[in-house]
Amino acid sequence: MPDAPEKDPIVGRSLAGYFVIAAFLLIFSLSWSLYDEFFGLRPWKGYERRFATLYASLLKKEIPRQEKAEKAIENSPDYQALEKQVKDAHDAAAPQLTQIHEQTAAIDGKIAAVLGTLTNERARVGSMIYVAEHTPDGPGRTSLEHNLDMYKKGPFTLNGPSFAGKTFTFEELENEFANLQTEKGKLQQQEGDILKPQGEAAKKLRAYLHDHLNGLSAEQLRGLLNKAETMAIEIKQINIPDAGVVDRCESCHLGIREPVLLTRQNMGGDKDPMSAAFTSHPDMELLQIHDPDKYGCTPCHNGNGMQVDSVAMGHGEYEHWLWPLYHKANMQAGCQQCHASDMVVDHAPELTEGKRLLQWKGCIGCHRFQGYDSEPEDLVANQQQILQMETERADDLRNAQRDIDAGDHAADNATARQDYTDADALRVASSKVSMQLDQLEVKAKYLMMGRKKVGPDLKEVRVKIRPEWIPVWLKNPHAWRPTTKMPRFRLDDDDIEDISAYLWQTAIQTTLSHQAPGDPVKGKESFETRGCMGCHSVGEGANQVGGWFAANLTRVGEKDNYDFLVRWIHNPRERTRPYCPFEKRDITDEDYKKHGLPPYTFDLNHTKCPNDGHEMVVEQMTVMPNLRLSWDEARDIASYLETLKRPDATYAAAPFMNNPKLKEEGKKKIRFYGCAGCHEIEGMEDEGRIGTELTAEGSKPLEQIDFALYIREAKNEDWYSHKGFFEHKLAKPEMYDKGMIKTEAEELKMPDFFEPVSSKVTEGMPDLAPADQKQISELTTFLMGSVTSEIPQRYWYLPADQRRDVQDGWWLVKKYNCEGCHQFKVGQDSVLMDIPRYQTPEWKDQLPPKLLTEGARVNPEWLAKFLSNPAMSDTDTDRDGVRPYLKVRMPTFYFSPIEVRKLVRFFQAMSSQPMPYISPRLDPLTPKELEMARALFTSRAAPCLKCHATGDATHDKFATAPNFLLAPERLKPDWTKHWILDPAMISPGTAMPSGLFKTQDGHNVFAGPTPPIFNGYTGDQADLLVRYMFEITPEEQRKLTGLSANSMKQTTEKQEGPNAHARPTLIGMLVKAH
Amino acid sequence: MNKKLMIGFSIIATTILMFGCSSEKAPETTEQPAATATAPAGTPVDQATVGTVTGKITFTGAKPKLAVIHMDQDPVCVAKHKSPVHVEDGEVNENGTLPNVFVYVKDGADKYAWPTPTEAVTLDQNGCMYQPHVVGVQVDQTLHIVSSDATTHNIHPQPKDNREWNESQAPGAPALDKTFARSEIMIPVKCNQHPWMRAYIGVTKNPLFAVSGSDGTFTIKGLPPGDYTLGAWSATFGTQEQKVTVAPKESKTVDFSFKG
Repeated sequence: MPDAPEKDPIVGRSLAGYFVIAAFLLIFSLSWSLYDEFFGLRPWKGYERRFATLYASLLKKEIPRQEKAEKAIENSPDYQALEKQVKDAHDAAAPQLTQIHEQTAAIDGKIAAVLGTLTNERARVGSMIYVAEHTPDGPGRTSLEHNLDMYKKGPFTLNGPSFAGKTFTFEELENEFANLQTEKGKLQQQEGDILKPQGEAAKKLRAYLHDHLNGLSAEQLRGLLNKAETMAIEIKQINIPDAGVVDRCESCHLGIREPVLLTRQNMGGDKDPMSAAFTSHPDMELLQIHDPDKYGCTPCHNGNGMQVDSVAMGHGEYEHWLWPLYHKANMQAGCQQCHASDMVVDHAPELTEGKRLLQWKGCIGCHRFQGYDSEPEDLVANQQQILQMETERADDLRNAQRDIDAGDHAADNATARQDYTDADALRVASSKVSMQLDQLEVKAKYLMMGRKKVGPDLKEVRVKIRPEWIPVWLKNPHAWRPTTKMPRFRLDDDDIEDISAYLWQTAIQTTLSHQAPGDPVKGKESFETRGCMGCHSVGEGANQVGGWFAANLTRVGEKDNYDFLVRWIHNPRERTRPYCPFEKRDITDEDYKKHGLPPYTFDLNHTKCPNDGHEMVVEQMTVMPNLRLSWDEARDIASYLETLKRPDATYAAAPFMNNPKLKEEGKKKIRFYGCAGCHEIEGMEDEGRIGTELTAEGSKPLEQIDFALYIREAKNEDWYSHKGFFEHKLAKPEMYDKGMIKTEAEELKMPDFFEPVSSKVTEGMPDLAPADQKQISELTTFLMGSVTSEIPQRYWYLPADQRRDVQDGWWLVKKYNCEGCHQFKVGQDSVLMDIPRYQTPEWKDQLPPKLLTEGARVNPEWLAKFLSNPAMSDTDTDRDGVRPYLKVRMPTFYFSPIEVRKLVRFFQAMSSQPMPYISPRLDPLTPKELEMARALFTSRAAPCLKCHATGDATHDKFATAPNFLLAPERLKPDWTKHWILDPAMISPGTAMPSGLFKTQDGHNVFAGPTPPIFNGYTGDQADLLVRYMFEITPEEQRKLTGLSANSMKQTTEKQEGPNAHARPTLIGMLVKAH
Repeated sequence: MNKKLMIGFSIIATTILMFGCSSEKAPETTEQPAATATAPAGTPVDQATVGTVTGKITFTGAKPKLAVIHMDQDPVCVAKHKSPVHVEDGEVNENGTLPNVFVYVKDGADKYAWPTPTEAVTLDQNGCMYQPHVVGVQVDQTLHIVSSDATTHNIHPQPKDNREWNESQAPGAPALDKTFARSEIMIPVKCNQHPWMRAYIGVTKNPLFAVSGSDGTFTIKGLPPGDYTLGAWSATFGTQEQKVTVAPKESKTVDFSFKG
């Protein structure tokens, strides 16, 4: 036995243990990786299974419920009546149908019999013809043809019960077949006619069920159940190649567009974390407009649509994804990238508010934003073009003169003629330039009319303001007037003195005409009823009443000069001096005098500079309109406002105002802070915006956003995001200066728009009032959504049809706060509608008209005139052109023709009315119809003239509706008919009653007793009245009021006896008046 | 991961996973209590135990001077009146009490079933005035609006919670039958053609209401025993509340006092 080899120290040791461990490790890691592969990295599978189970169980519960509801409907008498109709129709048709079916069966038998023979014989005849045709002419062919004819004669015998051996020739067979087919067709048609009533009744029955059943039918639900139960567990993906969208969101959000409403409650309950993913989309209507198959999910919501590994990754809430899912509070940010051209975005109220705030708060004074406030830039461009073309024209003329001179001294006629032709060409060119220049001047004028500033004109500060108030205001505007839009600049006392001094010393110095005191009691009434409160409020704190759009006027008496206030109320657009943008200075009386012209007065027809003929700024750049009040009323209102001031308010004297040494420093600081973005300031009329452009601010990568020394804190506190940055920046801009080593000039300039209510700071956010937090959230939503869109442009909302007009119009509606007085959409209350005064039945009738169907109501040409001149008169302006009975007044906005056009088109588009409008020709009334219409208008039963104005002052004291004389030019006849038939359908809550007409024999007939002349009239009485209204003239109206008076008088005498004469009647007075 | 390899492994894996993975739990369906579509019918009222609340509406302070209504714009209205007509809101009775105060059970009656009364409440337009000036109906009860005037009226309630409507009623036209679906204190009613015309409709969930008359008293019958909050509404002098406990068959007195 050989020696056992020496034990190998390595082999000898058993490694089994290690292998076992390694094997276990291997198995463990393998199973782990497999687990991860199938479950860990595929959480959506769990979601899908759970969804299918929950959805199926929900549907299973829902189906019996819906079946019960269906049963209930089926048991209702209406349904059963319909069902009986179906049965009756069926029964009625049955005998005829049986007959027809029998006949059809018989014919089918015959057809089969004929066809059996015919098919064979056709083939044979066909082949014989073929052979004959392919045989050359000659005896062979003749013989074949003869054979064919003989063959065709048959006879062919048809067997079977219907023919019983009858014989036919080939032709007869063909005819028999054709006849049988025709006969069958007739029978089929008969069958269709017989079945028709039954089919229609069945259709009605189905419609009844559909109309009365809430939600889906049991059958539809069963379909969904089947779908849920057989749902494949797989990734659900939306793929839109041209937009680069691959969204797998629906792998977990499975119920998002199911036709059944899914909530957390019915999909697992609030405690189940998955149930949040299974709900229906919160705005199904919105989803219908934006079909996910076409738009995907992430274009609106952000997040990483391709990721399905985990919730956080799918939502893009991790370090390596730039654009995480929008926070719930800012979800509407996603609308902006396609809806950047809209000022009002339906279904996105927060975004819409954010868009409005950017303009209203004055952000656009410093920050450019595409689409906002384009007039200043357009004006600069326009001015440059004017200057360039003027140079061009001067060159042309100079060169033309040179050519002429050259021609005059030319050596020969040919050269002279050429010179003269050149000169003429240049002269014609220059005249073309002149005409273009005229157009540019018109454009400049219109742009200037539309150009507004957020804050008041500070050139007028000396005529308007008391000097000692200015430093108090600059220190902290919010302290003096908490609701003001003016933000707080972080100014020290030196800054304030310098800035005040510059403003004061450069302001216009003149004396306004002295105003006598007015009557504050009357003024209060005027202020509260003329419509001032659609924009302005009075009262402080809890006592504040009125609109938010413009300043709270409680303390205006503490700062404003009375004389200025009166002028402002009388016409806020009035300017002390016009400004010439070419000379870059205010034009004084001296300038006018030099040219032998009277001094400047506010006038939009004489807007050219006396020195250079260019268009000037002649209006205050305020959106406040002219209410066309008398001077007396303006004085009353000003006197009333003066009474509201705090009696104990005192202001320290401000002697530094006149210190000339401060002026230059002040100018620098004003420029530094960009005050001229919001205010007109002497010497800074052409200053540009000092802030960064915000059009695509939301696209800035987070790394490029300056969190200053807050990065670590922001990350820890979970606000290192666009949302966090915007919110903090808006709430407290100066926080990003904290701890930074900066010179004063490098510090952040953005002022504080919001004041904290306490010194508490949570996660860097100051403690703000809820209303301020809301504004910050809305602005943040807007800024987050303001991105350079990566979606193809065809997805953007840039309609070329009427919707474009709607888009454009909203910008103006928001710019001028039309919603302060008017309602444009049902559910959108105007400011006035919510003011306590307008809650009583009396005052509700004093509200401005609702504009829900304005485009369908009025002729656009009339509307354009009305918007330009709401008084509808150049001389009698202290009135409302359409509704003189309203205390509230449609003011003159001095809209530019561009704006008027946009507004008119807006209204037409809002009512889907075609542009241009062509008034339909109405049939003129026959003499008899005229008499009838008159009789109806003046009858006691027809109340038209009780409410509608007639132009007679005594009568119109009681009027609550417009004068009929306006109708032909103002209204559209179609609308007018709808209106008189059921005004509440058009304007809910209107003073005009419904039920004035009833339907009789398919016509509208007056609901009350009609005058005898109507006996036998078969026409439509609503049409008759409309036609009459569109023919009415002043003479006719006078006749009408006279007739009305007589009819009333007669009634009274006849019915009530002499007692009626105890009082003077209105109509009696009317008669006297005419 | 290589797919073939994966399939191979998965056989082993399944065995291993048998231990590690519990089988998929059958998701328990969370049974939510189904919200009943119809409101609980409520306890029927036992007519044998019902009590009554009566009371008087007194008034202290200066009587407002009532404006005279000028009906000049419609001679038909003028002719119906032999003496000047005054505005009704703010009226004080001769005995210093208030008429036209709407007293109703504001709280405490909701647990009972209050079937909608079948009889209608009539509102007349007579002499271009509404009669009565203040009227109460139960939710869904018919308000029967008639006109005794030879002129056209329009009836225009201006509610906050109900649907607004405004209908014309020509002389001799049939009566308008209307109902209100929601309780509301109070709905002002006006005629746009005769702007002085004013009525107030109180819509309540139960028939437990009354309007004080020319003697300033009111009586609410049919209260089941229990604790109630009574509300009193006057067009001019505001609203008041009082708590009251009614024992079976008890007659309670609750007086209200308004200040001018």
